[in-house]
Parts: sequence; structure tokens; C-alpha cells
Amino acid sequence: MPDWGDLVPRLFGARVERREDAALLTGQGRYVADIRLPGMLEATFVRSHVAHAELRRVDFSSALKAPGVVAAFAAADLTGVREFPDYISWQREVRQFPLQRDRVRYVGAPVAVVVASNRYEAEDAAELVEVDYAELPAVLSIEEALAPGAPRLFEEWPDNKVMDLPEHDPEVDRILASSPTVSGRYRMQRQAPCPMETRGVVAELVHGRLTVWSSQQSPHILRTTLATVLGIPESTIRVVTPDIGGGFGGKTHQYPEEVVVAWLAMRLRRPVRWIEDRAEHLVSAVQARDEMIVLEGSYAPDGSITALRAEVICDVGSGEIAMPGTCTSLVSAACLTAAWKIPHYATSVTCVVTNKTPSGAYRGFGAPEAVLAIERFISRVALTAGVDPIEARRKMILDPEDLPYMQPSGNRIDSGSHRAAFERAIELGQAALARRRQETAGDRVRLGLGYCQYVEPTVPSYFGTTGYWTAYDSSSISIHPDGGVRVSCGVAAIGQGTETTIAAVTADALQVPIEEVTVVVGDTDSCAYGLGSWGSRSAVVFTGSILRAAEIVRQKASKIAASLLEAAEPDVVMEEGRFHVRGSSTPAVGWADVATAACVRTIDLPDGVEPGLDASATYEPPNLDHRPDAEGRMNGAATWANGSHSGVVAVDLDTGGVRILDYIVVHDCGRVINPTIVEGQVHGAVAQGIAGALYEQIVHDSGGQPQTASFMDYLLPSATEVPRLVVEHFESPAPETPLGIKGVGEAGTIGPGAVIANAVSDALSELGVDITETPITNRSLLRAIAAAGASRRGASPEEPSGGDAAA
Amino acid sequence: MSTAQAVSHFAISCEVNGTTVDRVVAVRQLLADFIREDLGLTGTHLGCEHGVCGACTVVLDGEAVRSCLALAVQADGRSITTIEGLSGDGLTSMQQAFRRAHALQCGFCTPGFIATLSVADPSDYHDEAGVRQLISGNLCRCTGYENIVAAVCEEWGIERS
Ligand code: FES
Ligand code: FES
Repeated sequence: MPDWGDLVPRLFGARVERREDAALLTGQGRYVADIRLPGMLEATFVRSHVAHAELRRVDFSSALKAPGVVAAFAAADLTGVREFPDYISWQREVRQFPLQRDRVRYVGAPVAVVVASNRYEAEDAAELVEVDYAELPAVLSIEEALAPGAPRLFEEWPDNKVMDLPEHDPEVDRILASSPTVSGRYRMQRQAPCPMETRGVVAELVHGRLTVWSSQQSPHILRTTLATVLGIPESTIRVVTPDIGGGFGGKTHQYPEEVVVAWLAMRLRRPVRWIEDRAEHLVSAVQARDEMIVLEGSYAPDGSITALRAEVICDVGSGEIAMPGTCTSLVSAACLTAAWKIPHYATSVTCVVTNKTPSGAYRGFGAPEAVLAIERFISRVALTAGVDPIEARRKMILDPEDLPYMQPSGNRIDSGSHRAAFERAIELGQAALARRRQETAGDRVRLGLGYCQYVEPTVPSYFGTTGYWTAYDSSSISIHPDGGVRVSCGVAAIGQGTETTIAAVTADALQVPIEEVTVVVGDTDSCAYGLGSWGSRSAVVFTGSILRAAEIVRQKASKIAASLLEAAEPDVVMEEGRFHVRGSSTPAVGWADVATAACVRTIDLPDGVEPGLDASATYEPPNLDHRPDAEGRMNGAATWANGSHSGVVAVDLDTGGVRILDYIVVHDCGRVINPTIVEGQVHGAVAQGIAGALYEQIVHDSGGQPQTASFMDYLLPSATEVPRLVVEHFESPAPETPLGIKGVGEAGTIGPGAVIANAVSDALSELGVDITETPITNRSLLRAIAAAGASRRGASPEEPSGGDAAA
Repeated sequence: MSTAQAVSHFAISCEVNGTTVDRVVAVRQLLADFIREDLGLTGTHLGCEHGVCGACTVVLDGEAVRSCLALAVQADGRSITTIEGLSGDGLTSMQQAFRRAHALQCGFCTPGFIATLSVADPSDYHDEAGVRQLISGNLCRCTGYENIVAAVCEEWGIERS
């Protein structure tokens, strides 16, 4: 495992200032929409305005006469273009072509593209494209998709299940059959990742080489996909991801627009730009969550769960997206048991297709859904057993001596501070609640405390979700004759301070000032193959590969330095970037001397040492599985971060309004490279989790028309909705990753849904409200309060409570 | 195809970041597109193009406006300051506060926040709630606002609640 060895790091763990900021603060960033090339045309997509239909005919005759129009194309015109590859063998194959061929399956599906001299003219002309649809009945929910005789999205399938992995564990069945059990049904709504920068693509073909700039989290994977779908050699393609205005998972997918814009540049021999608008984004970029989890568990008298059976059912929309949307449901199944000792666990996973936008990756990736479900379920079990819900949790949480802990799902929880973080979050939460109780609350306001605990699989296997790539990444280091360092990595920078952390690790590994390190990411011509930034993976994989590349460079440099110093190599040491003979700091040579000899005064090189001072290395995290074993168990991540959140809410009984008064995060992502950046990641992720708990929801009407295609209807929280966030770190080093670090990007989103659902249920416990769904809107909460009252009076005992399916 | 007699273009003269600019613009062109595409000042960003996110905020005659909701012709005879003009040579003290507090991540929303803050009078804001209210017209998806609020409070000497 790569490590510092004899080096003394100076920047690792320090609050190094971000190198990205000076440009971004002054408007000097370069995002894809800022790229303007000579002779550039602009493209607009014609999208389906119906949810489900046969696509009969696309007529461009009026559009082509519109001012400024250069060309317009439908699926049949895309010569040479192939279907997107689908590598996953454990689900039904979804055949997807970049423009819809004979059927549309969601509002927003790309049907045609119009190219004009500017975006105004392209949009005008797109309105003139006539598309003949023969509408079909739409399927819009899990229930509708699974109903007997439901309309099918894919005629060649017998039903609407794109993935169906049954569970069979006779031991779980036996325990459940012979013990008292509790069951519950939990739901998290459909959301959109919604980075502030929408998607966008610019492409040009020069000297037979295609360059594609895209707002993407995985430049190399896009390059591979473009080569496959366009049918051209991958070596002729360059993908560049310029400054990215946020990704959050939505930009890990490879999209039809990326293929079509690239094809347009090849076909028209002019640069082409497409910049998505927000309304388009909210119907055509991937969405997420939209999952139901049904649990049944047996329990001991102390409230601990003895066996658990789960059904995870996810609505993946139309399923027409590269890197399929089924991926997150498997992570939900893996994350349900969090850091709880639940000795027997079995789960089925079903994904259905519906006439909604394809769903896929979004920060948290299946874990927020799971943690909402298990947290509410544990509380219900505790209540049934007559045990305090915090005490019930204390019975089940992992202790240090349990680690590493193999869960029934195959997760190998390698390290963490599970109990300590939980106790700390509870302590801070209880103190906050006590403080709030001192302050006056109206007699129609109820306070409640919520909490949760989770583990996050970081640095995951991509094979597990794509059926193709693994988990590795690459870095290359070059030392230039002036002693400056250039490091390039296969991960991407999507706004999370990656260049700064890469520079810090590299500077420490070579003992040079950080200012001398230039970082290059997001350019497939400059960076060796890597998988990009997603899955809370970047820090671990770039650190692993940088340390390995730096070691190769240092070894070669020592040889050269020894020769320059006329010393024996074993006597030469490097300290603070200077090479000298052990025990005496003069004479000494620096990186510039060594690199000058290596690159330009090669006459000074010792015998047997070749010119050049650079190295490339990869890092493939060990200790994770890319496929399940014979029993279906799989440890899909290199290391597991953990955390506990708590929060205090005030619920207004008359309006159903929920106000978050305090929000506390106790977080553990192993050793921290830069605490400032880690805190920033946690803050942003928590805000997105809060958004899901209370505000954001993609809604369709009964015909499948999206009702949330603007920021007026899809409610991103502002500074007045997100409370002050208190973050504490614990540091349990990962035993098996470089320097003991774990990923951090997603963890914060996992907690808030569960914390706020727990807190609202706590606030309304005297009324018997048991929240089982998000978002918790005023309306859904008033309904839940009314339902709880009715059920107490003996009426309608069915629905314990609910979120709001059509807020 | 030529459209009837309707005026399609209009000559405007405005001051942008202290320099006089004379251009003929399409009457339907958004101010944001004029700034970005015609003038090449790409620090003004478009996050929604329907007036909610605030990423496109610029200063028009001393007021923060959403350039996605204004037309270029409306700038005729007026003075516009964009993030490029607000920045000067180095970082302003608010920009420095953002940097110190880690108040930006992807930076896409940042120019809009800086523009909004540039025309606010600090003496109108006495507590964290007021600061949150002030910036509630600018959306940020990365930071959870925590460090943006911290930066503004630090810069304006407001104690956080
Ligand atoms: S782009 Fe103008 S407010 Fe969003
Ligand atoms: S820093 Fe990314 S949107 Fe605010």
C-alpha cells in the first residue's frame, strides 16, 4: 500500500487554500458555455412533449426554411451511429439510440436536432419541426408498472421489470416465521441532482481529430463511449472537461447529446455547441431516488433486530441512459444495514421502467433511501417492543472490537467510529434540544430530536454498476528542467477542490513547494486513462497513483543526484526537496539540477540512466469485489466511511411547517487531506439532503407531463432554508487505503432524510405520527397528523402516514 | 425569409465596466447573452434563464439585476458592471473573504453572489438572519451556504447566531 515512507508531509492534513478560487471569484473560470470557436454553430434538441408514443414521422420542411438554419436531423439521418453499449448482464438489455427511433418513452426524450447560426435561431426553428406521435398509455409509478396487464415500455419484454434479483434465504424465512415481526413501507421521492451549471457540449473536428468539450465527470469513459457509439477509433478522440459547475452524479452518465453534438461536428465540418437550458435539464438530465423499500423484521425483547427481509423497488424512469439507472438500487440494498449488527439479512431488488426521465446517479447513490427506511423501521420496532429508540440502537451499533465486520450482504466494514460518532451526535442533539426547550415555543409548536447513523461505501467498484470498468485510476508526474512539477490524473475536477488536493499530495510526495506543482485533469490527451470523479473515489485513487508515480521519480532522481554529487547512491537522501549525502546538507542538488541533467544536459547522466524524469502509475484499490460470490455476497467498496447526524426541528401543528433549528454532523472519512475542503463537501451534501427531506420533488401529472420543469416548481433551498451546520470530524484511518484516507463527497446527503423524518416523528409522537416518506411538505404532514388522529379514533388504520405524492 | 417591417435590431450605447460600448443588437437578445456572447464577458453565468437562481446577476446603474430577465436594448444609455468589472486587478475584500472562508466550490454561482453583495449596504445588516435573507435570491448547489454566510458575516463584522 502506498505510503509516505521516510517523507515528512507538510501539507497533508492542513487547510491549504484552494488554487481554483482566484479565477472563479473574478469570473475567469472557463466553463463549457464559455467556449466559442470560429465558425461555431449552435444546436437545439427537439424533445418529446408526450410521455409515451409511437414516433411516426419527423418533418423538417418548415424548420429548414427558418432564418439561420443550417441543418436538421432525426434518428434515421445519423449515419454510422450505433446504439449505446449496455454491458450489464444481470438486467434486461435496454436498447438505446442517441435520438429516439420509433418510440418515445418520456417527456424530454431527444427526437431530433436542429443546427443554426445561433441559439435563438436554432430554438425558433426547433419549434417548427413537426413530429407525428401516436400516443400510448403512460405508466408512471412502481404500482402502475407492476400492475397486471400494464402497458409495456419495451414490447420485447414480458413486463416492465428491467432488473429483478430475487431473494432467497431460508434462514431469514425461518426466523421471521417463528418470531414476532414488524413491517414497514418507506419511500423516497424522485429528485434531480441539479448542478447550477446545466449540461453542455462543444465539439469540433480538425485534421481528422474530434475534440469534445463536455460538462462531464468521467472524461475517459465518455471518450470510450463516443468511440463505440460513433464507430470511430478512440485514438482520434479528445475529451476535455473544462471548469465544471457541479456534477453530483448526474454528469457521470454518457448522454445522447454528447454523441449527437460530436456527430454534428463531424458531419457539418463546423464546430457545434449545445448548451442545455434549465427547463431541458429538469426533463432530460438523469433524475434519481424514486424508490420504495419494504421491510419485515423480527426483534428481540431489547428492541434489536434479529433478522431482516427487504424488498428494494426502484422506479428508474425509461431506463434509456448509459450507465443504467438500476445501479443505485443495489447500493440501497447494501446500505440498509448501515453499521447495525443485524445477523440475518436478505433482500430482493427490482427495478421497473416507467414513462419518466431516466434515473441514475445522484449524490448518495441509493444510500439516503436505505437509511431513511432503516432508521424509521428501527424506531417502529423499538416502539413495538416498548424500548426507547435510542437504546434499541445502542444494542445494535458496531463497536471497534467488531471491526472489520462482515455483514450478511458481504459488506466488509473495514474501520470506523460507529458507536462513538453516534453517541457524540446524540449528545450534541440532546443538548441542542434542551437549549431549544428553554426558548419559548408556542403551544401549537412541537420540538423533536432526530438522528441517524450510516456507512458510506467509498471508492466503489464500477463493475458492480456498469458491468465494465473496475475501480482504478492513473497519475503521471513530470519534472521539468526548471524543477517545476506537472501532475496529471485520470480523475476529474467538478468543483470540489480536486486540483488543490492533488497539488498538496504531489508537493508532499516530492517535497516541493505547492506553487511549483501544476495540475492537469479533465483532458484525455494529457491524462492517462482514469475513471473520473464519482463514488467518493477521487482522493483515494489519485493519492494512491500519485504516491506510486512519485516514488518512481524519486528513485531515479536519487541516482542522478548521487552522480551529480559524486556520491554513492545509498548515501544520498532527499530532504525538503534537496538531495545531499546523509549527515551533511551541503553540497546539495535540487530538483532543477536533477531534471536539467535528466532532460537537457543528458551528458551529465550516469551510465545506465535513461533521459527524462517522469513516471506514470496506476492504483487499483485492493480489498473490494467486482462481482458477487456464490452466495450473492459482495463487498463493493474499498473502504467504508461513517457518520452520525442529529437535528432539532420545530413542527407547527396548524400549518404542518417544519423548521430545522439545529443540524449536527459527526463525520468520519478516515485521514483528512484538507479539512476545509472536507467540511465544504459535508455542508453541500447535507444541504442537498435537507432539500430532499423537505422541498425537492419531481412531479408528473397523470398523463406523464412534468410539473416541475423550472426552479419556480422544483424548489432548490436557498440560504433561508438551510440552517447553520455544525460539523465535527472523527478520524478512523482506513487500514487498506493509501494514507488511511476514505472518500467524502456523498456522505452528507445520506443523513438528513432520516434525521428529519425521525425528528418530525419524535415531535409528533404523542399524536402517533410515523413518517415513512419524503419530502415532508406542509400538506403531507397535515395529512399525516389527520390520519394519525383518525387511526387513534379507530378509523382508517391503514396508512400510518405519508409523504406527498403530488405536492 | 424576411420578416415584415418589424424592427429586428437596434443600436445601443452603454457603459460596460467603465468603457463605452456601441453595438447593434437583436431587439430580442437577452442582456445576459449580449454580455456573454457579444462582449465575451463570460464571468456572468446562466443557471436557469428564468430569473430564479441569480447566477446571472450584474449591476445595472447601481442595482443588482438578473441579466437573464433583461433585454440588451434595456441597457441603452445605462451603465453595467459585471464580475469582471467588480473584480479590478486583484480580489476585493469580499472576494478575499469568500476565499478565506471556502465560500465557493464549483464557482458557477459565485459571480452572482459577489454582484448581489457588491451593491448591498453592510450597515443594513445586523445579524445572520438578515444576511441569509439578502443572499436568498442567489442559489448555490455546492456549499450549503454555510461558508458563504460565514464569509459575509466575517467581512461585515456580524456575529453569527
Ligand atoms: S440565470 Fe438569471 S436568474 Fe438564473
Ligand atoms: S459553488 Fe457551485 S453552485 Fe455555488
